[in-house]
Amino acid sequence: MNRRRWLIHLVLRALAHRKGRTLLLLAVLAMASSLATALGIVSSSMGNRVAEEVRKYGANLIVIPESARLDIGSGGLNFGVVSEPAYLQQSLVEEALLKSGLKAGVSFHLRGALHMKDADVMVEGVNFSDIRRLFPWWQLRGNWPQVGETVVGNDLASRMKLKVGDMVELAGIANKRELRISGIVTSGGEEDALLFMALPELQQTLGLGGLVTLVRLMVTAGGDTLKTSAAALQMLIPTAKVTEVRQTARTSEGLLAKVKLLMLMVTAVVLVSAGSSVAGTMSTTVLERGKEIGLMKAMGGTRWEVMLIFCGEAAMLGVLGGVAGYLFGSVIAQFITRTVFSASADFIPWFICISLGVSLFLALLGSIGPMISVFRLDPVRSLRGE
Amino acid sequence: MSSAIIETNGLTRSYGDICALKPLDLLVPEGEWLSVMGHSGSGKSTLMNLVGGLDRPTSGTLRVGGEELLALNEDGLARFRREFVGIIFQQHHLVPYLTAVENVMMAQYFHSVPDEAEARHALERVGLGHRLKNRPGELSGGEQQRVCIARAIINSPKLLLGDEPTGNLDNKSTVMVMELLKELRAEERFTVIMVTHNQEVAAWGDRTIHLDDGVLVREDRLKVEGKAG
Amino acid sequence: MAILYKLIPHLLSWLGILLVLLRGFPVRRTVVTVTGISGFLLGVAGALLLFRAFQGATPFWIIKSSLGVGFLCLWGVSVATVYCSTGRGAMLLWGERFATGSLSAGAVTGITAIVAGAVSACKIPGADGNALAYMALVLSACALTGLAPLLEKLLPASFKVSPSGMLATLVALLLFSSSSILRLDLFSPLSMKVMKGIHDFVHQFMESILIPDHLFVRPVVWKYIGFLFGKEVGFWGGIVIWFTPAILIALAIHFERLPSVAHIRQGAQRRRLLAAAIRERRYRLFIPALALLIFAAAAYQSSFPSVEYWDPKPLPVTATPSGEIIIPKRGEVDLEDGKLHKYIFKQGEREARFFVLMNPAGELTVDLDACAICKPDGYGQAEGTVICYYCKTLIPLETVGKPGGCNPVPVPFAERGEGVVIDSMTLINSWGATVKATVRAKEGAK
Repeated sequence: MNRRRWLIHLVLRALAHRKGRTLLLLAVLAMASSLATALGIVSSSMGNRVAEEVRKYGANLIVIPESARLDIGSGGLNFGVVSEPAYLQQSLVEEALLKSGLKAGVSFHLRGALHMKDADVMVEGVNFSDIRRLFPWWQLRGNWPQVGETVVGNDLASRMKLKVGDMVELAGIANKRELRISGIVTSGGEEDALLFMALPELQQTLGLGGLVTLVRLMVTAGGDTLKTSAAALQMLIPTAKVTEVRQTARTSEGLLAKVKLLMLMVTAVVLVSAGSSVAGTMSTTVLERGKEIGLMKAMGGTRWEVMLIFCGEAAMLGVLGGVAGYLFGSVIAQFITRTVFSASADFIPWFICISLGVSLFLALLGSIGPMISVFRLDPVRSLRGE
Repeated sequence: MSSAIIETNGLTRSYGDICALKPLDLLVPEGEWLSVMGHSGSGKSTLMNLVGGLDRPTSGTLRVGGEELLALNEDGLARFRREFVGIIFQQHHLVPYLTAVENVMMAQYFHSVPDEAEARHALERVGLGHRLKNRPGELSGGEQQRVCIARAIINSPKLLLGDEPTGNLDNKSTVMVMELLKELRAEERFTVIMVTHNQEVAAWGDRTIHLDDGVLVREDRLKVEGKAG
Repeated sequence: MAILYKLIPHLLSWLGILLVLLRGFPVRRTVVTVTGISGFLLGVAGALLLFRAFQGATPFWIIKSSLGVGFLCLWGVSVATVYCSTGRGAMLLWGERFATGSLSAGAVTGITAIVAGAVSACKIPGADGNALAYMALVLSACALTGLAPLLEKLLPASFKVSPSGMLATLVALLLFSSSSILRLDLFSPLSMKVMKGIHDFVHQFMESILIPDHLFVRPVVWKYIGFLFGKEVGFWGGIVIWFTPAILIALAIHFERLPSVAHIRQGAQRRRLLAAAIRERRYRLFIPALALLIFAAAAYQSSFPSVEYWDPKPLPVTATPSGEIIIPKRGEVDLEDGKLHKYIFKQGEREARFFVLMNPAGELTVDLDACAICKPDGYGQAEGTVICYYCKTLIPLETVGKPGGCNPVPVPFAERGEGVVIDSMTLINSWGATVKATVRAKEGAK
């Protein structure tokens, strides 16, 4: 058996001897490092997500009625809510677009509530061909609808127990309509709770001919040109508000920043308390094991060698705590992103280094005081039991 | 007996105002079994700690095995202890979470490298071949003291120090332990210094010195072997 | 003095070389010191003579080759060390004789010092008229040689150097010293050679095995094959070749057998010897580890050279209605100053980067900012060469304007009056064809 293996063996034996205390320390270290890891994972993966979503929307503009607050975005990007119905003239926007000469993919959206089986559902009227072009990431089970057909968001479908092929009856202010469900759509965003039908049909049903609530524009331009085209369009449609999605994404960034700040504070508190509890527990342990330390010194261990054994214990705790903390932290991160952002966190393997680092740092930092007393301990007095 | 293994000159140790050891001149030839007697507080433990390199004298000279202990620093003393001295304690001081073999290997670790086969052999020599994997808590007092002896002799020290090694043992165990020490000494030829207040135990030695209040008061040279069990 | 600052890496390696040599030949200190300094001076003088005797790249080639030979020797020694470490005894004996012999001490020191001197001399620009700089180099090297024995005494005694470890460190220090000089650098050419080697091999292999048809090779396979053509493969291959000798030597020491202690009866004595042997072996590992570190530093310096390339931002140019691009020789920029002048020409969606450069022979050349084999990462100019950023190949200015290899692709042009005239269509098409070919080659789909 070589010296290194013996040291590890010794450390494991000593830790196993005091199971309760070892578990307590492990739990403390794991908790602290898991929080730090979770913080890192959440901010890194959600930061990526926000950036990615902004990128996915590309150079994107939305046109909304002046008075409306709106509900746009998907998944992690819930930018706002509809407060009161306000509408835009579809033809007005089309005209303005033509006049501005912008090259843009356009998608018109009308949103309203329809009565279905004693309940109101949110229905969005769209042109399905535009949708397929502009939102290629929507996943569809079934087929895109023909005339007299509709697609249902995944969440809504499971809530209302709807299947492909079912007939639904939707009642609006103006008239009633019976539609066949041709497909179920999953976008990972709030569209999952909506029912989609062709724009003209919804306009008819709601009695809102030629009106829309939202226009999405995919302008193929970047940076400054987007701002200028937004401004140009704004001039042409004074009754509406033209916004860059890039701007609205800041709301989500703000949410992320708040969550990060909160986690940072919690982590700081936990780190400090974990550090002090490690220090406390370690110094009790060292006090209790005074005779053992004295014995080691009497047997001929130098002060450094004896200290190495105890540092080894702290390091072992740190490593174990770090691994546990990484696993636990990934779970916490998953939980937070699910509840707060309703998206899943990335699995980031190299965060184990951060987790290990935090845990080791805490374990060793907390042991500095006890280690000094180990170093100084006088073998004669400790063996006598003083 | 060839040369002196321990040579002290005006050895003094005081703790603040209390003088635990008055100036002491002592000469221990190599291979001798020296018993140190005295009631508690007489300075016999202090003497042992000084000779074993666990403590530093206040003044005087202390040469053990040709090494001037006063000249050594803390780590140098530790090295001296691991190479030169084996210690047997009254309370055994075994590490509670290690088995008998591992307790012996601990001494090997500090000395050089652990060697399990050799540690096992040492325990077999002290008659504990059947209790290798037991923890100290599962061993009787006599057995624990034998583990302690195996640990003390594993690095072939020149000097074996016993601090009331039989203080916690019953008569039968005491005799067994002393017999064992005698046998081992015959084989390994180490010098023994044993602190005790038991007249019978002291009688196992070649020579007995009596300390009182830090002063050497009497010295007996015993020709007769102690009582055998 | 700026030149001393530039010489710091070389002087540091020289000090390191001396320390290692002094430790490696503990009984031959005088031989090492004397041979060391005379060898260094000889190296500097030799480099000067070479610069006088040959023009252009030849002196660099000679010194670079000697470095390369040194590296190959290290490979040989490392393999021999591994081989010998399995059959103990022979090597130890040989090593002992090696370490104490005055001939070996002199030879190793002399060769190392000559190469070190020559490499350091290469750092000083221009063979003539820089006498002051040479003086500074020689004087500081002498001072360091005087200092080294004193410093060596301060090193802890447990710091032992085995012959193979010493060789590894010496070669590592020489390569570290040379890696800061673009034309002596070995690591980048090494990784380029590996890249090209793999490239050629795959080509040959594919052509002999898979012809007549590529239909059997699915796109996925092509993706992997394409990976083999990338810069990364060359880099990692180079890393492996670069570090293996030092790692082998370290492994040989790590797995060296411990002395037999079975015959010693007393356990404590046996263990004491064993522990001492283990400790001593661990100390001997320190030197190969140090060599590894130095190798890493050399590779880093070679990958991220501190040399600043002259790389101007491409100036946009336009064509006349007749499709000609006219660049005046003396306008805002002086085309005939011997520097790289980059331009970018855009026509609708298509664009082309090119540069105008006057080569040392005094002829103007116009070339694409891309070569026929690499991705079009472009070129930069430094120390009498241009460098391809993608494969780090150095192209001497003399050969710029000639086609082939990684040379920039020449563009036909005419000198008319006070300007250079290039046909825009030819330029655009030439760029298009070159870039298309190289990009496709990189992706592996023929």
